[in-house]
Amino acid sequence: MPKSLTDSTETFSQLVSEALLGEKFPIAKIISKIETENNLGFRESLFKEIQSQKPNVKEGLTIGITGTPGAGKSSLLGELCRLFLSFAPDKKMAIVAIDPSSNVSGGSILGDRTRVTLPRRDTRIYFRSQPSQLELGGLNPYTYHVLRFLRKIFDYVFIETVGIGQNEISVSLVSDISFLVMQPLGGDQVQFMKSGIMEVPEAFIINKCDEESLANSSYYMLQSTLEFIKDILPDQSLPPIFKTSVVKKKGIEDLLSYILNYPTRKDKNVETKTQLMSWIRSEYGRFGIKIWEDLESNSWNQAVRLNPLGGIQKLNYEEEETKFVSLIQKKLLP
Amino acid sequence: MSAEKKEYLLVDENGQGKPDKPWIFRTYAGHTNAKASNELYRKNLSKGQTGLSIAFDLPTQCGYSSDHEVSRPEIGKVGVPINSLEDFRILFDQIPIEEMNTSMTINGTSMWLLSLYVALAEERGVPLEKLNGTTQNDLIKEYLARGTYIYPPKDSMKIIVDMYEYCLHNIPKWNPSNICSYHLQEAGATPVQELSFALATAIAVLDAIRERNCFTAEEFEQCVGRISFFVNAGIRFVEEMCKMRAFTEMWEEITKERYGVKTAKYRVFRYGVQVNSLGLTEEQPENNAWRILIESLGVTLSRNARCRALQLPAWNEALSLPRPWDQQWSLRLQQVLAYETDLLEYPDIFEGSKVIESKVKALKEEAKLEIQKIIDMGGALVAIENGYMKSQLVKSQTERLSKINSNELVIVGKNKWTDGIKSPLMTDSDGGIFKVDPKSAEQTLGVLAEVKGRRNAEVAKKSLEELKQAAKDGKNLMPYSIACAKALVTTGEWADALREIYGEYNPPTGVDGQKLFLSDDKVSTVRGKVEAFTKARGHRPKIVVGKPGLDGHSNGAEMIAVSAKHSGFDVIYSGIRLSPEEIVQSAVEENANVIGLSILSGSHKEIAKQLFDELAHYKANIPVVIGGIIPESDFEELKKMGIREIFTPKDYDLMSIMNKIIDIISVEPVLV
Repeated sequence: MPKSLTDSTETFSQLVSEALLGEKFPIAKIISKIETENNLGFRESLFKEIQSQKPNVKEGLTIGITGTPGAGKSSLLGELCRLFLSFAPDKKMAIVAIDPSSNVSGGSILGDRTRVTLPRRDTRIYFRSQPSQLELGGLNPYTYHVLRFLRKIFDYVFIETVGIGQNEISVSLVSDISFLVMQPLGGDQVQFMKSGIMEVPEAFIINKCDEESLANSSYYMLQSTLEFIKDILPDQSLPPIFKTSVVKKKGIEDLLSYILNYPTRKDKNVETKTQLMSWIRSEYGRFGIKIWEDLESNSWNQAVRLNPLGGIQKLNYEEEETKFVSLIQKKLLP
Repeated sequence: MSAEKKEYLLVDENGQGKPDKPWIFRTYAGHTNAKASNELYRKNLSKGQTGLSIAFDLPTQCGYSSDHEVSRPEIGKVGVPINSLEDFRILFDQIPIEEMNTSMTINGTSMWLLSLYVALAEERGVPLEKLNGTTQNDLIKEYLARGTYIYPPKDSMKIIVDMYEYCLHNIPKWNPSNICSYHLQEAGATPVQELSFALATAIAVLDAIRERNCFTAEEFEQCVGRISFFVNAGIRFVEEMCKMRAFTEMWEEITKERYGVKTAKYRVFRYGVQVNSLGLTEEQPENNAWRILIESLGVTLSRNARCRALQLPAWNEALSLPRPWDQQWSLRLQQVLAYETDLLEYPDIFEGSKVIESKVKALKEEAKLEIQKIIDMGGALVAIENGYMKSQLVKSQTERLSKINSNELVIVGKNKWTDGIKSPLMTDSDGGIFKVDPKSAEQTLGVLAEVKGRRNAEVAKKSLEELKQAAKDGKNLMPYSIACAKALVTTGEWADALREIYGEYNPPTGVDGQKLFLSDDKVSTVRGKVEAFTKARGHRPKIVVGKPGLDGHSNGAEMIAVSAKHSGFDVIYSGIRLSPEEIVQSAVEENANVIGLSILSGSHKEIAKQLFDELAHYKANIPVVIGGIIPESDFEELKKMGIREIFTPKDYDLMSIMNKIIDIISVEPVLV
């Protein structure tokens, strides 16, 4: 076991059990390790250890929050945290906030913590920053695994990304609900809204609704645009739109209770497959995707059956990743 | 006698030579507690000082009473603690306030301090019309550079307008606010930024007053006449003098054109100065004496741009608080300049100079463009809230530091001619510096406890309720604050009452997207070590830059945050006034490799102790380094507590600092 992760007096299983109890430093150490390159072996033992310690461990709800810089996402999150402490006294939440990295030095300034202030030594809210590491799509390469880990400990896991447009769609792939946060709209934004991103989020937030009439006009403008999309996708019901103001402390209770009462989770198998595909694409490019597609096609199924490793089950991420890697190796060195 | 007129002499109406009256001599002072500060003021006045400039400690400035837990490490450190009217009674004991010109450097709680002053005057039977002085009350510079703000910008502006309205009708000789560009230069502002940000601030204040529409046209003119400024004078003294002339001319134009002020005397740019502390060095500190002299010339040489009041820092301010002797030395410099030289005998000696005229013109043109930009954005308050002004200042500061680091900007004794004989001024038994006796806080806390026990609790409570209600109703808060002062309400109670209504403000840090202009060998060495670290550990080094306590001087923290990013670190920086608990919580949750603290208020020992206690709570062994104005005599104690490295103002080379930090964390045992 990765002994190096712990102090000499502490075992790996102790560290995991402390993390599962919500102790902040153990959680933090494990996240750093998940964020380390070539961490497959670590992830395998981590999730196995969690499974063996707590077979029925919880699966928290993942909430994606994305939108343009300046839409006030972090202030909104700060206010959500404040309300969460009093509204959900027996629940715990975590936030992962992603900020851009510098192109030149690779370094980053992660300033989103500023907006979230907590009571001293409180363990009900955990906040973690992540540099984007220049990845497109607004997510860091390890974000998905960090979220999987945090879901085991916290009832709600928020993920905040900064960006504009199509790039942020990927946040919706790893979250159960995703929100697009906007400022009150101007006329020219309608074009942007029609550009495709509007079809992705489960819900919308018009933040900075400090002024009633502007808030209402934005609300109706957004609603009519969404109805337009609904005409194209007739089976889809209209996504909810929240009007919030951090300054006036309005609308945030409604938003929080929507999240706290959100009924359904996405199919985690679909999520695992999506993430696996995206990993394959970045690791092996079109070559990898082709192998994957062959694997899924009938012609490959035949071959796979003959393969002692068996077919892809889309259940346990690490197992699938290992299987795929050995398949690739087989393909490369027949 | 021949009545031949001499162009080069100042004369009275009878043609007799008559030099100008000197400016007001002040020293910015206050420390320990009200009693010790009272003694200091009386001594300074007896030495020929002609005005008072009161420095308040950080809890008083930030609206906390001394018995609040965040106050404890800061009581009496950078100024005098004031908790209630009782402290003012002690502070002004045997000082005739009706004869004083009293400047109070206070912003977030300025209304409260003025209320205490009014209550004291009424108690002594001094008619309010006789009170003469200034409350600084420039919140915009607080959000940008000094960091002792409390409430959001709009509410703070409302409080300022309340004070103008009250003062004009009740204390006509009082300057309710004083636009302070001093700290902007300390935060790196160029002369153009100093001109434009200060004037945009004055415009914001006057626009807010005009909007309230509480004055007749004539009263509004008087109100414009009460606006005064507090300016910084830097080492490039010709440019600084031109800046002052530009200020004077631009204020004349703004008051005439934008506000239609017809009476000439209300359009005069009235200003006081403290010369620059930013350029004072910890290395060869005796050189600072010459810097201070040269900087004084910029604001005294030319009659058309001469300051009304001047206060000079002490030669050793980059080391610690000055001793009474150091302040006396600074006062003597002013007296030599005013009384021994012929400075005050001449009309403006630069009138007609082509160089000066064209430099002034150039500064004015650039500043006008910048002011227009801010006005187009929606004014100074908007430019604060959207982070524009802050990011401009951080940019100027990073440029300045980059230039010092690359030796493009020469600083004698710091990056050039650094070898020298050690100053004999530092060899006194006290090491040449002043330290506040940690036991002195007891006296302050004793007075506070005694006042709380003695006062009529019902009356105090009622006056606070009325203050809150008035704030909710949008009424002028001055009369309610004076009532609180008389009811012996405390500073913390007054500020909390308004916090409840207005909330507390959290401004942009300005560091996002900033770049250093450094790309030498040192940078590549550090980046190489960072890459090696990243390769060995699998992730980038992570630093939490923490600015604990009430000290809002965030330049150092901002520069470290920007340099760490420049070196390739992932940086967590969340702005000022964090508790040690919050900083440790960040470092723990983020699993940071190092915590870097920045403390300039002298509370480093107390805060380091709190920080290590908190790390122990989480069983987190994260290395800690510290930067600030830290006397060498404290080094050993800090290292014993566990501080790994100490940086002081003489460590100006950003990449050397980063180099030391990456070395420290590279040898840490691999936990992840």
